[in-house]
Amino acid sequence: MEFKKYTLDNGLTIIGEINPAAKSSAVGFFVKTGSRDETKEISGVSHFLEHMIFKGTEKLSTIQVNEAFDKTGAQFNAFTSEEITVFYAAILPEYLLDITSLWIELMNPALRDDDFDIEKNVIKEEIAMYKDQPDFVVTETCRNLYFGKHPCGNSVLGSVKSIENLSAGQMRAYFSERYAPNNRMLAVAGNFEWDKICQLAVQSCSAWQKKETSRDTSDYPGAKKKKFLKKSRLARQHICLMTKAVPAQDNSRFAAHLLCSIIGDSTGSRFFWEIVDKALAEIATMHFGAMDGTGIFQTYIQCSPENSSKVMDVVNNIFTDVSEKGITEDELVKAKNKTLSALVIKNELPMGRLIDLGLNWTYLNQYRTISDDIDSIKAVTKDEILNLVKRLSLQDFTIVYLGPG
Amino acid sequence: MTGHFDKHILKNGMVLLGEPMESVESAAFDFALPAGSSRLPDGFCGAANIIADWIFRGAGDKNNRQLGDALDGLGLHRSSSVGSAHLSLSGVLENTNLYEAICLFADIILKPALDNEHFELAKELAISDLLALDDDPQQKVMLKLRELFYPYPLGRSTAGNLDELKNLTAEKTRHLIRENFNLSETIFSVAGKYNLEKLTSQLEKLFSTGTAKKTQPIEIRPQEHKYTHIHNDGAQVHIGLMTPTVTASDENYYNARVAVSVLSGGMSARLFTEVREKRGLCYAIAARYHGLRESAGIVCYAGTTPDKAQQTIDCILEEFERLKEQISEEEIQRAKAGLKSSLILQSESSSSRAIGIGSDYYLLGRVRSLDEIKQNIEACTVDSVLGFLRKKPFRNFTIVTIGPKEIIVQK
Repeated sequence: MEFKKYTLDNGLTIIGEINPAAKSSAVGFFVKTGSRDETKEISGVSHFLEHMIFKGTEKLSTIQVNEAFDKTGAQFNAFTSEEITVFYAAILPEYLLDITSLWIELMNPALRDDDFDIEKNVIKEEIAMYKDQPDFVVTETCRNLYFGKHPCGNSVLGSVKSIENLSAGQMRAYFSERYAPNNRMLAVAGNFEWDKICQLAVQSCSAWQKKETSRDTSDYPGAKKKKFLKKSRLARQHICLMTKAVPAQDNSRFAAHLLCSIIGDSTGSRFFWEIVDKALAEIATMHFGAMDGTGIFQTYIQCSPENSSKVMDVVNNIFTDVSEKGITEDELVKAKNKTLSALVIKNELPMGRLIDLGLNWTYLNQYRTISDDIDSIKAVTKDEILNLVKRLSLQDFTIVYLGPG
Repeated sequence: MTGHFDKHILKNGMVLLGEPMESVESAAFDFALPAGSSRLPDGFCGAANIIADWIFRGAGDKNNRQLGDALDGLGLHRSSSVGSAHLSLSGVLENTNLYEAICLFADIILKPALDNEHFELAKELAISDLLALDDDPQQKVMLKLRELFYPYPLGRSTAGNLDELKNLTAEKTRHLIRENFNLSETIFSVAGKYNLEKLTSQLEKLFSTGTAKKTQPIEIRPQEHKYTHIHNDGAQVHIGLMTPTVTASDENYYNARVAVSVLSGGMSARLFTEVREKRGLCYAIAARYHGLRESAGIVCYAGTTPDKAQQTIDCILEEFERLKEQISEEEIQRAKAGLKSSLILQSESSSSRAIGIGSDYYLLGRVRSLDEIKQNIEACTVDSVLGFLRKKPFRNFTIVTIGPKEIIVQK
């Protein structure tokens, strides 16, 4: 695999990792913007804008955009989080230049008023869809409670009210600031010719105007609050806990990831043996959410309302035990094996590789090979994990219960 | 993908299928055991979920914890899934650990501990998962739809039936395992990096002791197509609909696949364009082919707020009906490009291939090569797809909705 990088005068960076053995290629734009970069008045604009990017440009109508993607058989989509918006496509190598060219074109959307009005309905439907997913509701509520006024607590979707009040003009202003070339990046992985991609980007993106962008990347310790939400139609209790973890830029991020695997992987973890295996809850998992300048450990539990307090006793005991005694060597070895095999399998596909490549560049401004990540995971020690839990205090969590009451 | 497949039939009748992949370091495998939801006798709906959990709670000389630790120690990512025909036990891992994983799975299939205490826990989890479906209307609507659409018992709920789950005992379930873990009807598939010779002799040795017998085909009873509404006070009406079409062995199979791709293959396809892009009725709207060996359908899902539900279903049905009237050359070309490209993209994943070759073998009795599929897709034309649709139009829908409002279905 060979890594390539080029930066235009306007700050747009193009990166690529070439794997001539791959049968496909993947290409994407990574824009460093999300709900944490929004004010209350424009809540949900990043995600809404992600939808509007597909609605066409001065040259292309919505229908033409969809047809242009589909005639190549591309598997394409986009996602928006609290801090990043990613547009991506997996594609056969012969269509890569066409699709890259299409993405570049779409990066200057028309943002037409009539498209904006129709898409507003789609966004409101998406908000309604997630309302019917209690795991999503409890997680979003917990994030909001944990972060309080810190922007990382902002809702990605926004509310029906904020979406209704949003104007196309506000979206255009947000676009021109946050989608500046120095705040986005073009990444390519798999089987492709670097020179051709680079040439295309130089020709088509050099006129984009650089702009000053900034973001509040202050760390946040979390609110340590508790909330009960009652919804009588629910059958199960949905519980979300959040505690402070390390930022995406922190060298302890690999230790944090392994810690989550040891405590809350879906198989073989402490949660698994103490909670799921004993049928106290059907789901009990813990994830590490590495963010720009901050980070969270996020636990999600789904159980019967009657088991709720018993499950929380077990969770508290596990957190206390890990905080006091750390983890065992055996647990660490198993977590490393699982994490390493997942990493290798994911990166066998150019699409999987593209995401890691792009996120590493976005957060670290750094190219990391798969071997770099493998070495970092292998190097984590028991003591490093113990130091991490001592530093972070797992027991001081924010918690939200959502259930029939 | 080299275009080469391995096939070997073990002495006990179990089929080994393999697809070597040069550019990967992983190996993925799948044991498809004939213990899916339709293969179990009446009164045992959901038992396969208990079995899928129970057999992992200790096997061979290992107790529950030792077995879990051994599987994790190999870096194995495993999953169990219950389908209509099979209970699938699959895994993916770094290729050098494959043989050790197969040893553990042989114990899980042939020598599970199956003690009473763990039965109760597995049963409780299966019941919990079933109850939790009420909090997941999107999944629930699809399960209910398949249950009502397919001839009984092919679409029987893979999540189970509450009363039947509660009535299950360890003894009855042990009997089911003995009866249904029939090796002569089991398909083992592997894809990625593996050594065929080593694997074949290992499987011959490990599986020489299991049950192998001829079983009776299941009796199938057609059902009446109808509309069912399940009330809940959620934010959306979740709409599922299904219409019969040809199975994978039918000469018109590829015409059916291209037709559904014209309807819902990509963002330029008709359903997305008409329902979402032009009218803004839904966020989630999609249709796809869903096939069993004996029966198949086109399944469609849409989620929408109550005041738009009627317009959404009317619009979807109109698009299904309109399809046979006219399709443009460009639409056919896009549909074919989408199908071919997804085929090639999937061919890079060892997990997709292990499941894919096993499923081909079950549905068709052989594995199709990438070239064969490509040629068949390529051979579809506007005329062939329209000809097929006019002969077998997408009609006679089974419809299920879950949500705060019912819809009116025209006869």
